[in-house]
Formats: sequence, structure tokens, C-alpha cells
Amino acid sequence: MKAASLGLVFFPAFDWAITPTHPEREERLLYTRDQIVEEGLLDLPAIKEYRPQLAGLADIERVHIGVPNIESLITDAHLLSAGGAIAAAQAVMRREVTNAFALVRPPGHHAMRVVHGTRGFCTINIEAVMVEYLRRHYGVQRIAIVDTDVHHGDGTQDIFYHDPDTLFISFHQDGRTLYPGTGAMSELGSPGAFCSTVNIPLPPGTTDAGLHEVLDRLVLPMLEDFRPDMIINSAGQDNHYSDPLANMAVTAQGYARLAEKLKADIAVLEGGYSIEDALPYVNTGIILAMAGLDYSRVIEPDNARCPRQSVATTNYIAKLVAEWQDIWQGRDRLRREAVAKAGGWWQQRRNIYYDDSGIQERQTETVRLCPRCHGYQLIDTQAQGYPFGMKSAFAAIIPRNSCPACRAQARDAVHKARQAGRHDCCFIQDKQEDILVPCGT
Amino acid sequence: MLLGIDVGGTFTDAVLIADGQVVAAAKTPTTRQSLLNGVVTVIDKVLTGVDAKKIRRAALSTTIVTNALVEGKTDKVALFLLPGPGLNVTGLIPGEPHFLSGYTDHRGREQACPAEAEVAAVCRKLEDHEVAAVAAKFAVRNPRQEQLVTDWVNKYLQPKHITLGTQVSGSLNYLRRINSAYYNSAVWRIFSRFAQAIEAALAERDIIAPVYILKADGGTLPLTTAKSTPVEAIFTGPAASVLGIMALTKPVEPAISLDMGGTTTDIALWQHGMPLFAPDGARVKDYPTAVRSFCLRSVGIGGDSYVRRENGLLAVGPMRCGPAMANGGLAPAVTDALRVAGLIDYGDIGLARQAMERVAEATQTAAEAAWETLRLAAATVCQAVQDMLAEQAARPVYKVEELVAGRPFKPELLIGVGGAASGLAPLVAKQLELPWQIPPGHMVANAVGAAAARPTTEITLRADTAQGFYTVPELGVIQEFAKRRFTLQDAWTAAGTHLAERAAAGGMAEAADCSERLYEEEFNLIRGFNTIGKIMTCKLQIKPGVLMPVQMREAEL
Repeated sequence: MKAASLGLVFFPAFDWAITPTHPEREERLLYTRDQIVEEGLLDLPAIKEYRPQLAGLADIERVHIGVPNIESLITDAHLLSAGGAIAAAQAVMRREVTNAFALVRPPGHHAMRVVHGTRGFCTINIEAVMVEYLRRHYGVQRIAIVDTDVHHGDGTQDIFYHDPDTLFISFHQDGRTLYPGTGAMSELGSPGAFCSTVNIPLPPGTTDAGLHEVLDRLVLPMLEDFRPDMIINSAGQDNHYSDPLANMAVTAQGYARLAEKLKADIAVLEGGYSIEDALPYVNTGIILAMAGLDYSRVIEPDNARCPRQSVATTNYIAKLVAEWQDIWQGRDRLRREAVAKAGGWWQQRRNIYYDDSGIQERQTETVRLCPRCHGYQLIDTQAQGYPFGMKSAFAAIIPRNSCPACRAQARDAVHKARQAGRHDCCFIQDKQEDILVPCGT
Repeated sequence: MLLGIDVGGTFTDAVLIADGQVVAAAKTPTTRQSLLNGVVTVIDKVLTGVDAKKIRRAALSTTIVTNALVEGKTDKVALFLLPGPGLNVTGLIPGEPHFLSGYTDHRGREQACPAEAEVAAVCRKLEDHEVAAVAAKFAVRNPRQEQLVTDWVNKYLQPKHITLGTQVSGSLNYLRRINSAYYNSAVWRIFSRFAQAIEAALAERDIIAPVYILKADGGTLPLTTAKSTPVEAIFTGPAASVLGIMALTKPVEPAISLDMGGTTTDIALWQHGMPLFAPDGARVKDYPTAVRSFCLRSVGIGGDSYVRRENGLLAVGPMRCGPAMANGGLAPAVTDALRVAGLIDYGDIGLARQAMERVAEATQTAAEAAWETLRLAAATVCQAVQDMLAEQAARPVYKVEELVAGRPFKPELLIGVGGAASGLAPLVAKQLELPWQIPPGHMVANAVGAAAARPTTEITLRADTAQGFYTVPELGVIQEFAKRRFTLQDAWTAAGTHLAERAAAGGMAEAADCSERLYEEEFNLIRGFNTIGKIMTCKLQIKPGVLMPVQMREAEL
């Protein structure tokens, strides 16, 4: 058997920042670079380094609908970060390596399908761009995304909320105590994709023990049941006990063991803002674990200050796990019930706040539940913020396997919206034709 | 006059250079068993009728260190490591590591103290070791713990030689520093003996000039300094040819150079008149080291490469079976093909034809077999060149600007040197669709390179203005300064002073004027939402290069 080997795309973007003093700044992966280079990891035969590439606009628009367009909202750094994830995926698909880790920035998991600006440090969702690239170019169908960032992966959830072929599992610090506030257990996917969204909100103070309890008793069995063709890890490193933006108590060992058990085909870096005390050790641990090397000696120098898990937290997690096991066991029945209850249509109205750009978005999403295909989705969005004032858009999303009737209906809806003239822009995102068509008004 | 000697895998060459002209050249087969014999023979040849006292500098490139490593004639090294948290290096390094407590973090802050009792205990177990090496993780950010442990090892083990990781490199990469320090100690004794023998042989011939040893990065070191860092003398053969090309013809356009010798062709890439460097360092027996070297690739094609048919298919190299038949050898070689094809005019044409008839297919003439051989040899070299260019294009970069604006390396010229170049290099150039050049003197380019190479050294200065100190690991310097009152300009000024200091200590004070900035990095340290300082890294080197351009008249070849 061929020994495990890891493809590493390391792109610290040393010349890019949201703002000079923002947590997402030039310095963020500096100490990680120092540690990786000092350890000599790039010289190990089990690790092969890859250069990122510039993702194309078509790769981005396969996922996102930028208002008024995506070009005006992103920089080259975003294209390189997404291109880094794609490079990692290619290395795995070409079987040059057994798995890959895109250690890139800026991150992406808070970027939703519709993009008006930057939220949660993210503008484009680099995992989602990579996932759709894998589907388009390699025909990979069933994909599981395990989001291990401390923040709920609301952007990734949004993008795959109606897709039964994508199992999105996010465990995170409970949204009642942390940005972005979402990620409750009740967010389970729209009826057509019921239970392909799995949210596991954990109490603050969860340690390695709590995390591995959730992993062993929920996440790994769910993956086994789902039988994905590929497992993607949205690898946020901010569950660490030293992270300044969250309140969890996970260590580098906890993360490395997680990487070892999860056996993700591709991991993509997300958050993690304890740039000096956590990232060098957590990233080294994950790299070693993914490369099949001994990570037992990766221990933070200040490890002793990591808090212990309280009994209350342990009990809370046990209860949460039991509750989720029940839902998961009954998922087929629950899904049938949800579809029956919805009839042909499902709708949600949301307010979405872009913390980095100060934009307030109001969105209505309408999903057509078609008995013959995956239906289609209509999005009506209106955003308010500096410097543009108000902007609005209407979009139809036609999934890969849509039936002719749904295709026609979706197009028709956009044409009607265009004629009504109430929106600044109209779009058809046609996944079958792999094209995003802006329709002028 | 400058005397240059190159000990190659097949031949040992020597040249004398006066006023930028090669005035004498000599060649003798390399004596593998005793390198010194060949060196002495070739010196006597080139010095015939010359007043040895007029030589003002002698420089030597030698395979002594490479051979010692390949043949395993190295000493057992007592290896002391302070690895802190991280990768378990057991099994990834040559020799047996002895792990000690103590850890310095990535910003040079001491996180755990080393223990003297541990060092004493290890020393008791290793009493029969005569040489030692000490390497601590992140010692380049603060060499104090490495120095402390070295003092203890000297106290309890009293080795004849001890190498510190920071002494061999000031760059991040603990694994490479361990390997470099280990090999440096492992070859110390054999190199010291060789150096003493050379000194004695030169003195016997009234050569009183200072003696230099060529390094893998193309610079030279005074022999006396080289005795403490012999690992720098690995892979000097290819470095010598690169320097030779620099002296004989400095390409202004992006270029590929091929040093086509008896056994191998060494490929180098050129930009702005300078060869490209390997990003991290040379590999020794599959172990990565921090020894700075040119970006080189070696392929097993040379004049003596063995030509035969294997299951009907023609094969060339990578091994050799002695000289070509045209030169009195027993087996067909590339030189025979070159002779039959009429691309060279030395060696016995009759014997060469016999060689080609032996590898020809039933329907083939000797000339056709010769051309088939040459096409295959050239294609093998071309493939290696293409691989190297692809590797260069895939090299990772860490900034947006470098990826968006960076242009791939695209060669516009091919330069051939070495014994097999005149026949073979034009064929490679044709396949690569490049113009070519074979400079006069190419047959002894390596010796010219050794003679003309300039002394070099480098230093790394890293300042942390939030903590208020800088380090220069190669010199073991830790210097405090007023917090935050230190600018990048101050860093460069201090680096200049320390480079001059290192040059003077290495007996090359005059070379310090040719310094160049190798690398600069500056990051703001933000804590909370405030800038609390800067982290700066400056690398300054005495530029590798040649003392003067060198010319050679064709008649002297």
C-alpha cells in the first residue's frame, strides 16, 4: 500500500489584509509559516507543497451571485485563496497525494450564495467554490463538508441548504453566545434536503473530550451512513483555548486527533485568530496527522492553562448527542413529513448582517419542491449600506438535474421580475449550463 | 597569478590565470583512492616553468567531503537536540539523536530551561564519540540555549570538534540545521587531514599564497576557516563550473548552462547574469541540509556514458564503464558516437566506429547508430531541463503580488561547458530551440571557476521591536535595544556591521565591500487593535561571483 501523503497549499497572502489592525491581516499566518518552515515539514517526503492558482470568475459564479457583480467586490487575494482550495482538490483528484490541506487566507465559510460585501471576514466561499469545481470537472456527486470552525458555517449552510447530495455538518460554539448567531439544531435543510444540514451547537468551555464525544458518537457515524464520495473539512482553528474571538477549550492535540479520525480528503483553513499561541501548533498538528506522521509531540508551551470541561458541560453535550441521534435515526420519516407539509413551495425570509461591510440585507428565498427533480430557487434580495445606499436583485437558481418544466418556470420568474423593474439586477444561475446570466433591467 | 584546481569525478584540472588570461592549463585523471596524488600531479604539470612565488592566491574545489559521505567514511557524532514541541525527528535524520529539555519559541522567547544534569548523563553514555553537534529549535531566533548546552557538552564530553546548528545556518529550518550540523561534525576529521596535506604539498612547492576552498554556493572560504565548516565544501564541482561560466561568459539574458563532463551533465539556470540558488539548501544522501547551493540538477549523461542495447532498445547512461573505446576503453560510450558523427576530432576513429557497430541494429550503419545515440543522450538532458523548468514554475510563493505579477523563467540561451559540450550541447540546444554558446576555455571551466571565485559569507539579522532585541545567529549575537525605537534602516546598518565582522573573522575582510541584500521582511505586530512593534528580517551576503572575467585563447585548449 502507498504510504499516506499530504498535498499542502500554503498561501499566507503576506501582502493582503482586510484592514491593517483587523484580525484577518498580513501577520495572521506569519507564525504558522515560521513553525512549518522551522519544523522542516516542507522537506518531508510525505508532504508535497503546491502553489495556488487564480480561480476564474466562472469558478466563483458557479456558486455566488454578486450584486451588482462579483468582480467589484473581490480582490486577487480572494481568487488566489479559492484557487488554493482548487489546487488542493486537483492534487487529490489526480492521485498525486492521498489528501490535501489548503492553508490559505482569506477564509470563506460565512460567504453566502448572494454576496453584497464582506461578512465574518469572508467574501467568497472557498470550500463551496471548490466543491462545485469538483462536481463540474470531476463528476464527484456526494460530498460531506464537516465545518470544525468555532463559528457556525452559515455561508456554506446557505449555499447547500437545498442540496440533498451535500451533507453539511457544523459543530460550533452555540450561536446564542457567538457570531454569527445562527446554527441552531432546528436548521436542518429545506424539505427537499431535510437533515442534510446538521448543526451541533456546543456550550462555551467545550474541551477535547467534548469535541471527540461529538465526533465519535455523531459526526463519524453520520458520515458512515451518508457514504460520501468525498469528505471536506472546513478547518477553522478557533476552538483553541487561546483564541481571542471565542470561548472554547480545544488543544492542538485535540485538533490533530480530529484530523486523524475525520480522514478528510481535503481540508481548507477557515478561521483561527490566536495567531501566535495556537495557529503554529494547531496547523503543525493537523499537517502531521493528515500526512500520517507522529504528531504526539505537538504540544503548546502554555498548554497547562487550558481549562477543564465542567460536569455541566459534559452532561449538556451528552444530552445534545442523544437528541441528535434520535433526529438522525428518524431522518427519512422527518423528511417525508416536511415535504408533505410544504406542498410544492417552501419559503424563508431573513435579515443578514455584513459585519465587515456594515451592510444590512433582507432576503426572501422561495424554493420549488418538484417531485421529478431538485426544483429551483428564487431569491429576492435588498441591501442597504455605505457607500451604495440601496441595491436590490432578483435571481433564479437552476440546479444540475432540473426538469424542463422547472427550468422554464425559473426563467419565466426572472423575466417577469425584469419586466416589473423593481430590482437593480436580475440573474439566472444555471448549474446545468454552468453559467450565470445577468439580465439587464 | 591565480591558481585554480578542480577535482572532478573523472578528471582533476588546474589552470593558472594572469591578468584575466588563462596562461596554463593541465588535466590528469582523478585519483579516487588518494585525491591528494592527483592534485599534486596536476599542480606540478601546470607549474612547469613557472615561478610558484608569483602565485598570489590558490583555490581548490574538491570532492573529499562528498566522497567521504558517499563512502561512509565519516565519524560517529554525539548529537544533542533541543526539539521542544513539534515534529518527532527520530528516523528523519542521520545518526542517533539525544533529546534534551529546553525550548525557545518562534519569537525567541525561552519557554522551558535546558538541564545540565541531562547533558552530563548523555555525555557519560557517549564517551567514545570524538565529535559532537548541538541544535535547538528556533535557535536562530535566540541562540542562548544552544550555546549553553554547547558549553556543557564541552565540559562533560570534551569533543575534538563541536558544531552548533546556528553556526551552519541562520535560516529557519531545524531539520536542515540538524542535518548540516551533524554532517559538519561527521566529516570534520577527514577534511582537516586533507586540508593539512594540501597545505604541506603547497608549501613544498613554494606556494606561499593564501589557500581557499570552494563552497557549494560558489563562494570561497579560506582553508583555515573551512576546517571548522567543512560541510560547506560538498558539491563544489558543479559550483565550480557555474563560477567558470560566470568568469568566461556572463550571460545577460535568461539562460541554461550545461556542464557536460565524463559521467554527468550538471544543469544550472541563469537570470540577470547570476545563477539561481536552491531555495533552502543542498541534499546530502537524501537528507535535506541548510548548505546554501546553486539550483542544480544532475543527469547521468556525459562523454563516458555507457551505450548499449537492452532488449533491442538503445540505452545511454547513467553509468559509465571506463573511457570511450575511441580513447582506449572497453565499452561503447557517447564520445564514440560524437567521434563517428564527426562532431569532435580527437580519439581513434576506427575504434569509435567499432563501438558504434557494436550497438547498431542489423539494418543500421555505424553512423546511424551514432546519431541515434546522440539524439537519445540529448533528449535525456532535455527532459531533465524541462523538469527543472517545470519545478521552477511550480515554486510556491507567499504573496499575492508575486503570483499575479510573477513571470515564469523562460530561457533564451544555452551555454555548454565541459569535455562533452562541444559535440553534445548544440544538439540539446536544437531540441530546446535555443541559440547556444560554447565559450573558449570551456574544457577547464571548473578550474577557472575555482581560481576566480570570490570569498563569500552571509548573515541573518532578525529584530523584534516589541521585545527590544535582535539576533544574528551565525555569530551567536543577541543584542538588546530600546523597545520600538528600531527601524528597518537601523536593522540594515547593524547587518552591515555584523557582516563585516564575520568577513574579518573569516579572513576575507576586503570582500565585505561587495555586499548585497538577499532578503527583507517586515511585519507589524498587532495585539488587540494596536501596533505594538515590528518583526524584521534582513539577510545580507557578500555576493558570490568572480574576481574578474577570464579569457582563454582557443589555441591553449
